[in-house]
Amino acid sequence: MRDIFFSISMILLTLVIYFVVSSLYKRYPLPILLPILSGTVLMIIILVSLGISYDKYMEGGQFITSLLGPTVVALAYPLYKQRDFLKKYLFTIIGGAFIATLTAMLSVGLLGKALRIDSALIISMLPKSLTTPVAIEVAKVLEGNASMAVVGVTITGIFGVIISPYIFKYLRIYTSIGRGIALGGTSHAMGTAKAAEYDELAFSISSITMSICAIIGSIIGPLIVWILQM
Amino acid sequence: MMKVLLVILQVSILYIFSFIGISIQHFFSLTIPGNIIGMLLLFVCLCFNIVPVKMIESGAQFLLSILMLFFIPATVGVMDYPELLSVHGLLLIIAILVSTMITMAVSGKTTQYFAKKTQQREADQACETSSSQSL
Repeated sequence: MRDIFFSISMILLTLVIYFVVSSLYKRYPLPILLPILSGTVLMIIILVSLGISYDKYMEGGQFITSLLGPTVVALAYPLYKQRDFLKKYLFTIIGGAFIATLTAMLSVGLLGKALRIDSALIISMLPKSLTTPVAIEVAKVLEGNASMAVVGVTITGIFGVIISPYIFKYLRIYTSIGRGIALGGTSHAMGTAKAAEYDELAFSISSITMSICAIIGSIIGPLIVWILQM
Repeated sequence: MMKVLLVILQVSILYIFSFIGISIQHFFSLTIPGNIIGMLLLFVCLCFNIVPVKMIESGAQFLLSILMLFFIPATVGVMDYPELLSVHGLLLIIAILVSTMITMAVSGKTTQYFAKKTQQREADQACETSSSQSL
């Protein structure tokens, strides 16, 4: 009974934090107030100061995470609404997703090697631009560390969302297709959530890019490891 | 009240697709995640009108409007890796950050370039078939 009460209070705490930070972000849309960043930081501060471990928190938190399943499925809805556009640009989107996945894996692999980071750690970072469930699978297949892969995915997701407005401005990426591919291909589902702030088209392109990247990533992952000789 | 019930019912439909996708993944032991399979399945069902869009519209809109919330419990997991704050951890973070910027810049810029080329080609073809237009 006490466990149930604890789980519910963790769920409520997460909900309250989310709604507080997102209403704050609506009023002051600064990158640092992005709900995913400010919410995470606030949550960690609260858990650490209350002496609650992550495993304990997840007894409640897992119920929120479980809603990711139907939410990923729900991405079919914007796809369906944009189906005519997608049909027209299918090859461009597949090409873009391929470029994104290849760049993501090669760049982090080469940088990691240049910085002399442990090769098992680098391998865990290769799938960092893929959506979490895929990244875990790919890391396992490549004999990396699954939890480190999740950390890489998280940092990539949050940072990509923060840096995207500056990159788009500086490089003049102002089309929905360019933004959608960049966000979905780099920052997976978090990037897709950010793309929703631009327009529905960018949102749909981002979600299809994320899905295509998931497929491409699980195929070319082993190839990259072989190329980099890790 | 009706609206709340409708959303819950429609979210359950989405759950069913998620479940089917995960089952397919396990059955064929695929590396593609089950939820992505579920999404593609729902997309096909919507296109062929097997599932009318009205049946999932409200539920999908609701979930997608609070998408960021569902990531928070997972991202809080970073707290289990305090070693990220060591020198080695910082090097790793730098590699991730730089790679993220490169990926976003390269993928966004090249795709935009090729999409414009495609558009231009189409526009040119349209010009050739119709009367000539000066630009």
